[in-house]
Amino acid sequence: MLPSRTLALAWVAAVLLLPVALPDPYVLRVAAMTCIFAAFAASWDLLAGYAGQVNFGHALFFGAGAYSSALLTLRLGFPPWVAVATGALISSAAGLTVGYLCLRLRGSYLSLATLAFPLILIGVLFAFPDFSGGELGVSGLTPLASSRIGNYYIAALAMLALVFGTWAFADSRFGLILHAIRDDELAARASGIDTVRYKLIVFGISAAAAGITGALYAYFMRGAGPSTLETALSFQVVIWGVFGGLATIYGPVTAVFVLYPLTEWLGSFSAFGELRLLIFAVIVLLVLLFMPRGLTPWVRDRIETRCPRCKQQNSAWRQGCRVCGVALRAAGTHESAHPHL
Amino acid sequence: MPRPLILAAAAILSVAPAGIAQEKVKIAVIGPMAFAQGENAWAGAEMARDDINKAGGISVGGKKRMIELVRIDSNEIQSVPDATNAMERAITREKADFVIGGFRSEAVLAMQEVAMDNKKLFLGCGAADAKLGANVEKDYNRYKYWFRIAPLNSPGLGRTLFAVLGAIAGQIRADLKKETPKVAILAEKVIWTEAIVKAAQANLPKMKMEVVGTWQPSPTATDVTAELAAIDRAGADMVFTVLSGPVGIVVGRQMGERKTRAVAFGINVEAQKEGFWQATAGKGNYVATLDTYAEVEMTPKMIPFVKAFKARFGKLPTYNAGTYDAVDLIKVAVEKAGTLDADKLVPILEQEKYVGTGAYLEFDKTHDPVWGIGKDTGIAVQWQNGKKVPFWPPDVKGMGKFGLPGES
Amino acid sequence: MFQDILVTGLVNGSAYALLAIGFSLVFGVARIVNIAHTAFYMLAAYALYALLIGGGVGPLLSGLLAVGSVTLFSLICYRLVIEPVRQHEAAVLIATIALALIFQETVLRIYGGNYLGIPSVIDGSVSLLGIAVPWQRLVILLIAAGMLAAIWVLLYRTRLGLAIRATANDLEVANLMGMDVNRVAMLTVAISVGLASIAGVAVAPVFVVDPFMWLAPLVTVLSIVVLGGLGSIQGSVIGALVIGYVEAITVFALPQGAFLKGAVALSMMVIVLLVRPEGLFGVAFEEER
Repeated sequence: MLPSRTLALAWVAAVLLLPVALPDPYVLRVAAMTCIFAAFAASWDLLAGYAGQVNFGHALFFGAGAYSSALLTLRLGFPPWVAVATGALISSAAGLTVGYLCLRLRGSYLSLATLAFPLILIGVLFAFPDFSGGELGVSGLTPLASSRIGNYYIAALAMLALVFGTWAFADSRFGLILHAIRDDELAARASGIDTVRYKLIVFGISAAAAGITGALYAYFMRGAGPSTLETALSFQVVIWGVFGGLATIYGPVTAVFVLYPLTEWLGSFSAFGELRLLIFAVIVLLVLLFMPRGLTPWVRDRIETRCPRCKQQNSAWRQGCRVCGVALRAAGTHESAHPHL
Repeated sequence: MPRPLILAAAAILSVAPAGIAQEKVKIAVIGPMAFAQGENAWAGAEMARDDINKAGGISVGGKKRMIELVRIDSNEIQSVPDATNAMERAITREKADFVIGGFRSEAVLAMQEVAMDNKKLFLGCGAADAKLGANVEKDYNRYKYWFRIAPLNSPGLGRTLFAVLGAIAGQIRADLKKETPKVAILAEKVIWTEAIVKAAQANLPKMKMEVVGTWQPSPTATDVTAELAAIDRAGADMVFTVLSGPVGIVVGRQMGERKTRAVAFGINVEAQKEGFWQATAGKGNYVATLDTYAEVEMTPKMIPFVKAFKARFGKLPTYNAGTYDAVDLIKVAVEKAGTLDADKLVPILEQEKYVGTGAYLEFDKTHDPVWGIGKDTGIAVQWQNGKKVPFWPPDVKGMGKFGLPGES
Repeated sequence: MFQDILVTGLVNGSAYALLAIGFSLVFGVARIVNIAHTAFYMLAAYALYALLIGGGVGPLLSGLLAVGSVTLFSLICYRLVIEPVRQHEAAVLIATIALALIFQETVLRIYGGNYLGIPSVIDGSVSLLGIAVPWQRLVILLIAAGMLAAIWVLLYRTRLGLAIRATANDLEVANLMGMDVNRVAMLTVAISVGLASIAGVAVAPVFVVDPFMWLAPLVTVLSIVVLGGLGSIQGSVIGALVIGYVEAITVFALPQGAFLKGAVALSMMVIVLLVRPEGLFGVAFEEER
């Protein structure tokens, strides 16, 4: 079996079996957060990596999901799962709005415009403190499950569903069209693709997924505050996305699973815990210098080779392609002579 | 080494540590350790630990135990989930018996949930928000492990403010011969100021003061010339400030630069810090604010504590150093109960009348400190030529005099 | 009130303009969205603090040294961190974010999170249209005007300026014409950070200095350059004045809504973009193939 698939399976097993190996509540808390943020990062990659809409304000969808599900439960008495679903719908509506407003924007203009939206929402929330709780946010939610292990499994299973769902989505014909839009929107339009429709759909789906993660976060933390809309969170997901590898889905997920527990672990040292952000930034910088396309593409290049004829992935130590049999290494030439597309 | 000797050595070594290593009382100090608030919290707790351990430690059911402090950086100013992770770590990993500290209200609300999940006593020494106490009343069985040591909750702060405002108004009436001083309200547009602003708008006229307007900048505003220009034009004698962010520095500095006739008093958290004078580049003269610690005898313990703190750390304590009282209060309660069991300590704390370094502490049904002149009010200080001069309550030993700009 | 708005908008707008044109320049020439741009502004403010208060050096010399050292430092950063990953746009973006975070955390470690104040170079104020404007703020305005004039001269009257404009216009052709685009990019970075440092040094005595002071101006600068059009100098200047005035109007007209000025400025940007997706003066870039 392909090395990358083995790794993926091992990871799924690890995620599912973690509470059995380490039932420590602190570990499970960090792990649950990791799962929530990983799904969040995956939703960003769909939008930014695949569709090329590099969103610098993705926290808007996270916060929208968090706040709406919290408010629906606390103010209108919605049952928890209904609130989560409705939160996702509201978040999706926000996604459609942002997508619509940004239809004509390209590249950096789009990125910088999207930066504004969460901040505008914060301003609006602060203007109605009785409704939104102002700078404190809303609190008093009861978590979805009554035990820490239960809550962890909710986060983990939701994450697996969202990540694999997003990945399947990206890997389909729909994803191919997104790629086309990203690479050359004009050409895509010229080929008859209704780019407006596709862009709006991907904004809606990405926002819905992010909204679900926001709602799960709110329930886990028992509340939602303006910290769910912070620019720092938007930047964080961009860092995870690029660090992990754009347009892969598994890249950003890997990045979160590597970086989030790492920074938490760094923060637990009383000696230099306050340096955690500094160390994090240095690590990101160093990794980028050596792996500019991201962590997972680099790792994947080391463990797998692409067949020059049929373009299928193979284990790096195979002699012949597993599909078409062609020799993976031309006699005498170094494999890096083949450009990876 | 011959075999029997090894066995004997092993036996001795296995027994000896059990004798030397006593059980400790673990208290976690949680806060933003890279910032002044966390530093002060840690400093106050350190002083308490050293004082208590030097005197023999805490007597738990007859056996003496030393206090061990655990320093937990919540990073709450930058990240709320980091703070909850830190709280969880403090309780489940570090196995702290008690947690004290906290600062940013949004984070403390979330941290409170974690502490209550684990039924650990969490003594707050930084967040003023009323919701933390309201939770105790709403769901007593869950939230009873929370007590607020400092500061007073927002309504309590409001009462002190009006007491001081009355005193200052009296001085303005006497010195400036104005029957109805004009007051401009300058409050941050955030939740915790709402109640105070509404109360001010309602009460000031009853106290024979005229409210000439309410201005609400953002806590991080870097420029208040607009507000100050309008305040000047309205002819205000006093600016009632309700500020906790860096805008407090900007207000102080720009009022000084403009040589504003009005005097600023209220809550100005940045003005409580020693660095305020430098931060306003020496222009923050006459800025007055509520504060907690000064070399005044609000309780018999305050002056020795402030002096010792200054000697050890080179600066005056802020209200976050109320962790000193938190640690000492834990000792008092544990010794009375004879156990570390939180459920047994809660009723004791509820009944306790404690003489602290910051105030006389008594808790009401929301586990907030009870307000009262002579009990717990806080003090008021004014910056005069680079020094914080305490001036209220006037009849306490060590108090100075309040100065109006324009008077020398 | 009208005079208040007029003067405040102008003073704040000119400070923003100083920051914005540097940002716009780097994007136009090197296609780099430099998230660390305002972080350099923060470093310059701290450098000024260190020299003036820590080292007791005179104000003018401190200012010059601060600007010089930060500009030099930026070139080192560019060489070490940005140039190696130039080909990967996304990596460059993250690299600048990481740099900004490193600067912030380092300063936080050294100076702590407390707010620092730098005394004004000139005390007192002057009366402008009946409004008392502190001298220091007027100095900002004059410096901004001076730098804008200098940049104009540089761009339109020198060969280097020609090279910069050519590279901004069309990178490939400029390269083909024999210009050393890498050198031009580096010089542009130097000029850009130089402008940011000058802004930092000029503005620091008026505001408070803390490790996080780069975040709010970043959002404002981004909204200005987007509104004005990425890569357009005049767009940045006009955009800066627009945002400066929008903020001033918000604060003066709605005293209870002063906290909204950030949100209003951003909404302004969004509205402009809806009407003109390339900003007011921006050029719609041909997608580079």
